[in-house]
Amino acid sequence: MRFPTLLAAILAASSALAADRTVTDDTGRSVAIPEQPARVVVMHEPLLGLPLMELGVDVVGSYGRKDDGSFITPVDFVDTVFGPGRVKPRGIGPVGQIDLEKLRALAPDLIVGMELDVEKVEQLSTVAPVYLQNVSTGKAHGFSVEEELANVVGRKEAFAARRSAYAARLAAVRKALPDDGKKKTYLAVFLTDQLNALGDMSGAVQALEDLGYTRLSLAAENAPAGQGGSMLLVPLGAEAFGRLNPDLLVLMNTYMGDARDAQGTKAALERIVPGWERFLAPAKEGRVLYLDSAKVAMPTIASAEHTLDAVEAWIKR
Amino acid sequence: MRSARAIDGRRVLRFSCGLEIRVGNLAAAAALLTGAILLALVSLGSGITETGFREFLRFLAGEPASADQAYALWTVRLPRIVMGFMAGWAVALAGAMLQSITRNPLADPGLLGLSQGSMTTIMLLLVFVPAAPKVAVALAALAGGLAVALLLLWLVGGERASGLAILLMGIAVETVLSSVGSLLLLYTPPETSLALADWMAGSLFQANWNAIATFAPLFCASLLGLFLLGRATSAYDLGNEFAMALGEPVRRSRPLLLIFAVLLSASAVTAVGPLTFLGVLAPQLAGFLSPATGRARLFLAALTGGILVVAADTLARSVVRDLPLPIGLGLTLIGVPLFFFALRLQALRRLQLH
Repeated sequence: MRFPTLLAAILAASSALAADRTVTDDTGRSVAIPEQPARVVVMHEPLLGLPLMELGVDVVGSYGRKDDGSFITPVDFVDTVFGPGRVKPRGIGPVGQIDLEKLRALAPDLIVGMELDVEKVEQLSTVAPVYLQNVSTGKAHGFSVEEELANVVGRKEAFAARRSAYAARLAAVRKALPDDGKKKTYLAVFLTDQLNALGDMSGAVQALEDLGYTRLSLAAENAPAGQGGSMLLVPLGAEAFGRLNPDLLVLMNTYMGDARDAQGTKAALERIVPGWERFLAPAKEGRVLYLDSAKVAMPTIASAEHTLDAVEAWIKR
Repeated sequence: MRSARAIDGRRVLRFSCGLEIRVGNLAAAAALLTGAILLALVSLGSGITETGFREFLRFLAGEPASADQAYALWTVRLPRIVMGFMAGWAVALAGAMLQSITRNPLADPGLLGLSQGSMTTIMLLLVFVPAAPKVAVALAALAGGLAVALLLLWLVGGERASGLAILLMGIAVETVLSSVGSLLLLYTPPETSLALADWMAGSLFQANWNAIATFAPLFCASLLGLFLLGRATSAYDLGNEFAMALGEPVRRSRPLLLIFAVLLSASAVTAVGPLTFLGVLAPQLAGFLSPATGRARLFLAALTGGILVVAADTLARSVVRDLPLPIGLGLTLIGVPLFFFALRLQALRRLQLH
């Protein structure tokens, strides 16, 4: 065997050599990445891919997509958040079985993963530099992931422009919101086969808090508050839910089905808490906002804007 | 070395040092080794990059290969083949050893709770320290497996305890630990439980030359252990009392076999996740191919285990590209039909004899 040939071929096989600057990712690793990555692969499309797409980054691959371009869940979040017509990322192998050859064929110059992907880093790094981003509750809030990723991929201006448009929209909606000078609370509940308090990281939470609402404290109800690194949901007991009285109750049904409108959400909650509309104070007093989880649960500015649209419609109802 | 016939009339090769090998076992080993090499060649050609054995040979001869081909061969496919073979070898060897000391063909690291012990400690570690380094995971697996083995030895008592007692106690411990595993999966946050479920399904994704370098000493030790402890397993096949009558130091060798099996099983669990049923499957299939005892039985079982894992991985990478096929499921798809076939043929043979 001629070792120089072998060594050269193996070294050439790593595209990580094309790095331009060194950054420290959220797990404390130093990673050499391109100044403005041109081809990015994400390890979680809704939480990492969508914020990057909104910044104009070309997300060429995503863990959870199939070869035919379809997504693992019935809902394609690229369509629900940004509208139809966008080019979809390609798959990198079925869930649980990342295909490194398929990943390499996409020729990425950066792979963005979550902090939970730390054990995959060694293998993924054979294809391209890997940046790990915190996405867990307590570590990320609202669309902070998008802001942090904008710094990583050199798209600060794109983020600033989007944020500015969002701020204008927010000001308009806030103006329309009745203000009695009191601090108002909200509780966002995501319905699966149980009740879940929506975690900190989503466009919906960002918009509601930017509108002046503060999260209803669940400590008095002994409900868990996101321990263990949950990204999206915190289980909430039906009994505890019945006692809660936020100024604004935000309900959204799971994105695993089509019944995400107000009627579908009401029916889903009826199955878990029968008769809730008759005894729950926010329901009796018309303080319930219904949101489409497939549009608002992602950490993107677009998701926050979808929430503002829904709030505006609720004010005008 | 000379050719002779054993008491049962089968041809054997006798060496001057006293070693005796059945010709049938030797032929089976040669067939399995040939099968392993052929399978490795098929596996080298499986994947989306157009490359395979021919390019591999050219590459070794110094001819330039494209970066994609070099990556597919050296970074993805070859490490998976080597790691898969070694992990399958270790689990099947552990299963064959446990079957001898328990005198039960159903015993395997999974049934006795050894794999569950490793898995439970790994899961606990991943729940509390999600970013735990690989060394910590390996140590946790070893500690969990050893804890179960020591618990079993303590529960079943002294050297006179029967293999059945170990098996029954093992099933009890396995059941308790499985419940703990289910609890962890149910009550950890969804992302953590998904990561745990991913890992529990088993995968060769982590196979690389560093992992192989870590596993290789154990693989070499398994060859040494096979040679040194193999003879003892044939004595245990006859039962504890017979083993003692034959001069087997049961008080020493049984814990040694059990701990060696734990070491093999825990290392394989760390490397590729649990390989359920392989510890039962491989020795049974090897026994069907060529009935053997002692070292030959262990060697044939381990070889079969390695082949089955490489075959399962090849299936996952080539036939069903867009569907998730965890290594455990692939093993079941390949191994269980073979298992049925082998058992059915054995039953038919017995019917013909009567």
